[in-house]
Amino acid sequence: MSKSLGEFRHSEPLTLGVELELQLLSRHDFDLTRGATDLLASLDYDGRFGDIKLEITESMIEVSTLPRASAGGIAADLAGLREILRVHCARNHIAVCGGGTHPFHRWPERRICSGERFDALYQRYGYLAKQFTVFGQHIHVGCTSADDAIWLTQALGVYVPIFVALSASSPFVDGVDTFFQSARLNAVSAFPLSGQCPPLANWEEFVRYFGMLQACGIAASIKDLYWDVRPKPEFGTVEIRVCDTPLSIESATALAALAQALSRWLLRTRPDLQVARQVHVARYNKFQACRYGMAAMISDPVALGQRPLRESLAELLELLAADAHELGCKPWLDHLQPLLADDASDAAWLRGMQRVHGNLNDVAREAAERLLARAAHEPREI
Amino acid sequence: MSDDLFAPLRRGWETLLERLFFLPPFPENIDSLALFSLLLVVGLLIGEWLHARVGWPRVIGYVLAGTIFGPSLLGWISIEALAQARPIADAALGLLMLEVGRRLDIGWLRHNPELLRSTLMDISLTFTLIFSFALLLIGQSPAWAAATAAVTMASAPAVVLLTIEESKAQGVVTERIVLHTAIASAASFVVFTLVLGVIHAEQSEDWLNALVHPLWVAVGALLIAWAVARLALLIARLLPKRSLAQVFILVASALLAVGLARMLAVPVFLTLFLMGVLLAQIDERQTLRYTALPEGHWLLAIILFVIVGASLPWQEFTWLTGLQAIGLLLVRAAAKAAALAAAGGSLPLSKRLLVATGIQPLSATAVFMAYEIAGLYPEVGRSALALSLFAAALMELAGPALCRIALRKSGETAGSETGKGGIG
Repeated sequence: MSKSLGEFRHSEPLTLGVELELQLLSRHDFDLTRGATDLLASLDYDGRFGDIKLEITESMIEVSTLPRASAGGIAADLAGLREILRVHCARNHIAVCGGGTHPFHRWPERRICSGERFDALYQRYGYLAKQFTVFGQHIHVGCTSADDAIWLTQALGVYVPIFVALSASSPFVDGVDTFFQSARLNAVSAFPLSGQCPPLANWEEFVRYFGMLQACGIAASIKDLYWDVRPKPEFGTVEIRVCDTPLSIESATALAALAQALSRWLLRTRPDLQVARQVHVARYNKFQACRYGMAAMISDPVALGQRPLRESLAELLELLAADAHELGCKPWLDHLQPLLADDASDAAWLRGMQRVHGNLNDVAREAAERLLARAAHEPREI
Repeated sequence: MSDDLFAPLRRGWETLLERLFFLPPFPENIDSLALFSLLLVVGLLIGEWLHARVGWPRVIGYVLAGTIFGPSLLGWISIEALAQARPIADAALGLLMLEVGRRLDIGWLRHNPELLRSTLMDISLTFTLIFSFALLLIGQSPAWAAATAAVTMASAPAVVLLTIEESKAQGVVTERIVLHTAIASAASFVVFTLVLGVIHAEQSEDWLNALVHPLWVAVGALLIAWAVARLALLIARLLPKRSLAQVFILVASALLAVGLARMLAVPVFLTLFLMGVLLAQIDERQTLRYTALPEGHWLLAIILFVIVGASLPWQEFTWLTGLQAIGLLLVRAAAKAAALAAAGGSLPLSKRLLVATGIQPLSATAVFMAYEIAGLYPEVGRSALALSLFAAALMELAGPALCRIALRKSGETAGSETGKGGIG
């Protein structure tokens, strides 16, 4: 049934919220296991750090923070959620880990969770729903107005390759090295409503566009749009959806900090977006980032050339320093700096583990240990 | 009967033998391989038929095949043939026990006190109630009542493992069924070892047996398990993880442990269970952690359950023993359900009762344990343990079905979502 978009809910500017989809693993062999429903049903938790809920298959859960003004607040919530999961999963003999894909699970063995929405998705998308057992990080940035949200959705779209490359943690699928840094997004792109938000100038245009989709029977609710970046009217946010779930909550916080600083800079400087041109290179640039990560070559439809993503990112981090400082999230942005210096991405770490152990079970085990490891030097709020 | 059937053939053969000097003497016994093949095919056919037609676990079919063709009914599997096939059954049981031992994660109990509580309650309540039942209601002596309780207190690791594998079950109920089964088996083995001494003390005039036999069994099993586990890890470290070569090492070392246990008259199930536990505990580099048994262990499992079925002493069945066995099973079921229900914890009561249902099977380990004890003093042991054997016989058929029902009701089997209509 079609659902009205409703009003765009007011949010405090640049507030953050993070959702992480996490893998549930068997402690026996570190393959994905089923048991999300029972795991959450037996969880006695008061929601003080945010929510822990079911995702489409029984082998995944989603944790989401409360809306927070700063990256530090996000870090604290994620650390709290991690502790809840550490204790509760250990009690239930389940391991939990990050990463965009499980390296060797067999998708036919996945089970769709009970629930009207999940069942409807399975009926609609068939096997794609089971193959959608991939794990992403979604970052919400609060907007004060609906028009700002649409503008920010378009503006952040240009930076999708950077978010993909920074979070890339899905090099293995079906037990093989895909050569991709983020293979997760290939599972997402199979869905008909995935991709980019079309060039839209303001909220009114968006409402008209969405109404057309509803009238054509393509989308019933905003949840049907699997865009890389999309407005989320009921939260009053713009949601960045392209990140793989990183292997640590520190990296997840750093990505949120980047989103916050970048959004502040964009809304403050309002650069010329050239949306009509960007739309022609968006898919290619995303592919480059998925395939090559930091080594991607990003096409610039305005300058009519290519530029290494690594170079653009270095420049961006420098550009955002002042905004990050103002927001108090500069140390979290610095957390991303090592990714520029060498190949220190999560995907590279996973490949390194595969080389050390020679098998993917140990890779998944190490990833599970890494998620639960408390960082020795977590960046502090200024 | 089979002698009458083969009489004309034998006469003809002997006539030919007078002229054809290359012919061997008329074969008195069926060759082991031929027997293996026959048991396999018959067990497989009945198991598959029941599974396909009635949806029953295949294990029930294997046991039925053994019961029908065994010495108790048709007699096509003779007592000699049973003895001949025993090494294969030992190997099969050994491999399954090894797997159960490997699945026992003691660390889980550290993280979950409620689980420790429920396993301890299961063990103590089940033992106490069965012991009291055998002692007070059946009138067994304390030693034989303890033997009955030792044999029947735990779930059947082989049945549980195969039923889980067959239904591709995964989830919190499944994990708890495996853990309860493994821990209760460990406890039953400890009690079994102690009971050996008690029985010797009651039956033997020489006190040395009462002292040394339990030690021989416990220390012997532990030493064999430790030495072979170490050896397996030592060799496996030289090979790529999860490689076929590692699978061979795992199977070969298990067979070595089975052989050594047989040579030293140490129970195979105990030795291999300990080997599995040790393999999981001392494998710090995860050398063999992910190396699974080959699919072929199903073949051995078929033989195991056909033999178990054929070993059940149906010819000694009396209505009184049958009723007593039903009584024992009811007491046992009540003990397990009460333990799981009373233990509390975060898992809802309905799910805990499903765990209690899933751990009802009683099978190969119990039968082998009973024969092990009964063999010590056959003149009294056989009748004293008839109760345990009949209880196992009844549960051979009901146990796999109960385990499967528990897994299905918990929604953890692979086919549980078919009700959703699949892909539309």
